[in-house]
Amino acid sequence: MNSFGKANLLLGLGVVVLALVLIFVWVPLDTTSGIASQVRRQFVIGDALAPTVAGVFLLVGGAMVLAFERQLSPVQISPGKLGYVLRVCAILAVSFTIMRYAGPLAVWLVNAATDGELVYRQLRGTTPWKQSGYFLGAWFAIAAMISLTDRRVSGRSVLVGALAALGLVVLYDLPFDDLLLPPNGDV
Amino acid sequence: MTALDYAWAGILAVFQGPELFALFGLPISVTLVMILGGFLLGIAVGATPGMAGPIAMAISLPILISTFGFTPDALLPVMGFLIGIMKGATIGGAVPAILFNTPGTPDAYMTTLDGYPMTQKGEAKKALKVAHFASVTGDTFSDIVLILCAPFLAILVEGYLDLPEKTALLILSLSFIAAAVGGSAAKGLISTGLGLLCVYIGTGQDFYPRLSLGTEALNDGIPLTAAILGVLIIGAVFKELSDTWAADTDRRSAAAMSAQKDQRLRGRDLRRLCPHIARSSLIGTAIGALPGVGSTLAATLGYTIGRARHERRRAADQPAFGDGAIEGVAATEAANSSVSGANLIPVLSLGIPGNTAAIFLILAAESIGGFNPGPSVFRFTTDTVNPELVIAFGLFTCMIVANVLNWTIGGAFMRSMGIMTRIPRQILLPIVLILTLTAIYVQETAMSAVWFTLAFGVLGYAMRVLEISPLPFVIAFILGGRIEQSAREAFSATGGDPFFLFTSPIAAVFMALSIVVIWVAMRRKERR
Repeated sequence: MNSFGKANLLLGLGVVVLALVLIFVWVPLDTTSGIASQVRRQFVIGDALAPTVAGVFLLVGGAMVLAFERQLSPVQISPGKLGYVLRVCAILAVSFTIMRYAGPLAVWLVNAATDGELVYRQLRGTTPWKQSGYFLGAWFAIAAMISLTDRRVSGRSVLVGALAALGLVVLYDLPFDDLLLPPNGDV
Repeated sequence: MTALDYAWAGILAVFQGPELFALFGLPISVTLVMILGGFLLGIAVGATPGMAGPIAMAISLPILISTFGFTPDALLPVMGFLIGIMKGATIGGAVPAILFNTPGTPDAYMTTLDGYPMTQKGEAKKALKVAHFASVTGDTFSDIVLILCAPFLAILVEGYLDLPEKTALLILSLSFIAAAVGGSAAKGLISTGLGLLCVYIGTGQDFYPRLSLGTEALNDGIPLTAAILGVLIIGAVFKELSDTWAADTDRRSAAAMSAQKDQRLRGRDLRRLCPHIARSSLIGTAIGALPGVGSTLAATLGYTIGRARHERRRAADQPAFGDGAIEGVAATEAANSSVSGANLIPVLSLGIPGNTAAIFLILAAESIGGFNPGPSVFRFTTDTVNPELVIAFGLFTCMIVANVLNWTIGGAFMRSMGIMTRIPRQILLPIVLILTLTAIYVQETAMSAVWFTLAFGVLGYAMRVLEISPLPFVIAFILGGRIEQSAREAFSATGGDPFFLFTSPIAAVFMALSIVVIWVAMRRKERR
């Protein structure tokens, strides 16, 4: 693990810049009423005040980090761990893409094989179509994350992934008719 | 209705609510079963390294809401389950600390100092019994203080504080949480500022949703569950996973709960423990009543003060703190457990969530509707029934029922949970991650909520890496809308006075304190 002595300095600088951009650029350009505005001869608080207060919190916090904590106990940052979390995020992105498209893809394949005219949207409430995308995506995600953490792909991770995905389907889908597994609320 | 009538109505709401089944002709309400279910689940997740009460609450909430729906009848079963988890996880956390020297949470670290040496000496079962007894005693004391104090505090707030004072009080609580949580006031302010910024995106009173950058994705604002669960749960799972990966997985072998020595907790042991438990319960309750101040500080203080007393009075044949003293386990467990009940004082009396359990109670209340934790709950109306007050007393009853379960079956169930510590983290955490993301999807039924959650998970992870506590972020996200609304009303009520936060003496004092707590926290940090 690396001791990254400048982490607090960069954090403070980044937060101060974010706060200044928020207060002087983002809020003025992206709100329609100011800090206060007049409505029917009465002064009322405008939409810009609250985000400006948020900016002040950030500005004061960032400035305090720069002033008092720049040199204090360097934050421990491990590039290896950051890389690991990025890989986990990539696995999750791929798995949710699988969830989104596996069901429609399966329908397309069945149509291609049988000359049928099935539509996934009309099948998304029926077994096994409604669970297919979720099962495959969850299986991939769990197996891949276990393999990544174990630093090797094993039969155990694949089996645990499949069983866990099956368990999740049973947990969410079997007892509840009104719960929609991913991606059935979107397609 | 009188106050006693309300209390009785709350008790009846729990015991005579919708019946699930009958036992020997006695109707058993669904709320009672849910408290039991939550309690057992809480012990199991508390005993599982890498899991914690908030994760179980996050996963359970959408399932509970789907099961019970959005009617006021759902409030007590759902909240009873969450309270059960909170209570169970509090005692369950001692199991991995004592058996495997693995503090599942920071506050459990102090339990390892004497608990694990006791295990090494063949007194694991006794250590677990001590932890359970101390934990339940502290928790019960804390609940009694909550039940007695929360209504009076709420009545005081309603009676004496007007809109400007309430706005100033909310600002003071944010400031206090920023200063007290995580050990750095500066980083607490950053966390608070980020939470406020996120909650204000896509909201406001104008036709154009502010700060939405003209994008459709931000037009409706950031979903509450996505932001909270992302930062709080997904961020924590990312951190646990990366730590597990870096440690090349936890391969600790299970130390058996061997019965080489006398494992019984005798009367003379209890007499030795009682002063430590009483002192730590007071410390934990006092600290827990302050929003945001966690159980880690309580455990540390309870242990440190207990050690000083023990050193003055211990006999030559008794182990010192750190060498497997039962007093050390008791001092820590009583302190960190007595935080949990008192932590609900600010949320029930002021509407200010002080810990993660309170955050999930608020999430449940907001999702179901019909109950808005805060001072308005404790309106003892005599001519009409205040249903929120009945629910509040129902919640108190749920806590008492959970405590009774804790005293009766909690210890045995806790000691049987040693097996949970054998589940490898690298298997458990990916499942928890997918379980949580699925829970968010079934609640929001939109893939965009999952992407939002992942993004906030990365933010939560980054905050942990940079040693920024995520709790001020979450509390600011929850309170941000209320602060703005309260400020708007106060501004209008004072005729557009720009100094409305400083004209009333009480509001001015609150505002001055908001600055003082940050300044004091910074000075203390500088000195350290």
